[in-house]
Amino acid sequence: MKALITGAANGLGRAMTDQLLEAGHEVWAVDRDTDALDDLAIKSRGSCRVVLADLANPSSIQRLLRDVKDVKFDLVVLNAGISATGRFEEIPGAAYEKLIAINLTAPLVVASQLMRQNNMAPKSQIVFISSLSHAVGYPGASVYAATKDALAIYAKSVRKPFKKRGVGVTAVFPGPIRTEHAERYSPKDAKANKRMLPEDMAKLILKAASKGKKELYAGKGAGAAKFFGKLAPNMMSKMMRKVIFDKLDSNTY
Amino acid sequence: MARRELKSRNVLITGATDGLGLELAKAYASRGHRVVATGRQLLSNDLDFFGSPNISYIRADQSEPEAAARAIAQAMEKFQWQSLDLAILNAATGWTGHAADETPEQISDQITINLTAPVLISKAIAPLLFAAKGQLVMIGSTAAKGQSQFATYAATKAGLEGFVRSLREEWRTRAHVQIIHPGPTRTKMHAKAGLKTGFVRMFFMPTKRAVRAIQRSIRNRDGKRVLSKTYGWSSIFSSAKEGEL
Ligand SMILES: NC(=O)c1ccc[n+]([C@@H]2O[C@H](COP(=O)([O-])OP(=O)(O)OC[C@H]3O[C@@H](n4cnc5c(N)ncnc54)[C@H](OP(=O)(O)O)[C@@H]3O)[C@@H](O)[C@H]2O)c1
Repeated sequence: MKALITGAANGLGRAMTDQLLEAGHEVWAVDRDTDALDDLAIKSRGSCRVVLADLANPSSIQRLLRDVKDVKFDLVVLNAGISATGRFEEIPGAAYEKLIAINLTAPLVVASQLMRQNNMAPKSQIVFISSLSHAVGYPGASVYAATKDALAIYAKSVRKPFKKRGVGVTAVFPGPIRTEHAERYSPKDAKANKRMLPEDMAKLILKAASKGKKELYAGKGAGAAKFFGKLAPNMMSKMMRKVIFDKLDSNTY
Repeated sequence: MARRELKSRNVLITGATDGLGLELAKAYASRGHRVVATGRQLLSNDLDFFGSPNISYIRADQSEPEAAARAIAQAMEKFQWQSLDLAILNAATGWTGHAADETPEQISDQITINLTAPVLISKAIAPLLFAAKGQLVMIGSTAAKGQSQFATYAATKAGLEGFVRSLREEWRTRAHVQIIHPGPTRTKMHAKAGLKTGFVRMFFMPTKRAVRAIQRSIRNRDGKRVLSKTYGWSSIFSSAKEGEL
């Protein structure tokens, strides 16, 4: 099987990449972190194809699409994402432009262009990594929440038209994961053991993708969050404000 | 006269050169409120175009969000507005067709104009909104639930909803943040987006009715409002008291 993973060098993307390589699959690992990509190339003893790309840069995305032009992928995981947490009005506009470019524009462009270029093998799967914030809201990261909601609805919107062309779409709503990303953007006193290990999350996502599941809510408390988020959305966002926004003591972007 | 002056409020409406935005600008101006209207066009004569001295036009093309946000903030400074009572972020663009046929430019234009720009404009007007404990209103769309014919457009509107949901909590004590989702409305938007609506258009909500429904929802300070047919109809009987928004 051939897979393309964005944000593959660290965290959840790295865990998925490692597991796929372990199982003997071919992986195109896309990231902007050269050191981590080197590490990946060395540790996989050259079996992983590392692709350096900055997904905030449209011409870098175009180059990535040119590089993989003749490959047929069975699995594409659009996982790369960043955040910006703090008081909405205090974070610089440029940080929001970058956040939206990486979290939203890039996955939409890559997905639609891979479809357009006929890069997807028959019965292949595209996976969008949204967030559990889709269910509960995320005061203190309103623009991050915006990109993840947008991604969820894009996945839902293209599911039928892509299916007609033989490509399945999975939307994943992960709860907190114990990665550097989570550490960086969470309140200082947040407990790490309430977060799922990236390896466990990776396993669940790859399984859902191989089964062609439409949606996956995964992580500690994800089921309950989804349930109450649908039942009482305002109450959930209010609670999120108390557990996150009111505790953030600095802006991180 | 003096009493009327006191009650007139400061209103910002983006994308006010056509459709819902234009009608909203006229409606608020006709009730004596001061309106800053924005758009991407270069207008030769504001008064001829809008027909009201209460409307000032600012060119703020949202395909350059940072510049658009700056232009809006500067205009309010120029007009010496100390506060902003109501901001309706309404400008948007769309594209329809098979999601696999959408070009990177079409995707990025819609995201930039429909989502990035409202985010940066909200940030730019925050101080004036806080000063009035004003209302920030996003115009979404019922497409925000997902639409296979215009996937990116739907995504941008869902993005606005997610933005509003979280920002409303953050700003709870400082300003009211809400989203209004119109359903299909008889503006020129569909034609601009390359969609032929044909006879189905008959079932769309008339623009005037949608505009009344939006104003009603703003008066109600709803958190989230979908402009259903029933809400549209009953809005005919709802009107603003003197000085009200
Ligand atoms: N009509 C519907 O069925 C419908 C349904 C749901 C939601 N909505 C939403 O309602 C809002 C108003 O839409 P409408 O139906 O009134 O459409 P419209 O008649 O096309 O009006 C849209 C306005 O936005 C402006 N605009 C477009 N691109 C811009 C840019 N780059 N910078 C600044 N302004 C820009 C347009 O300018 P120009 O005059 O130069 O084109 C126009 O003034 C939009 O947010 C739309 O998504 C509409």
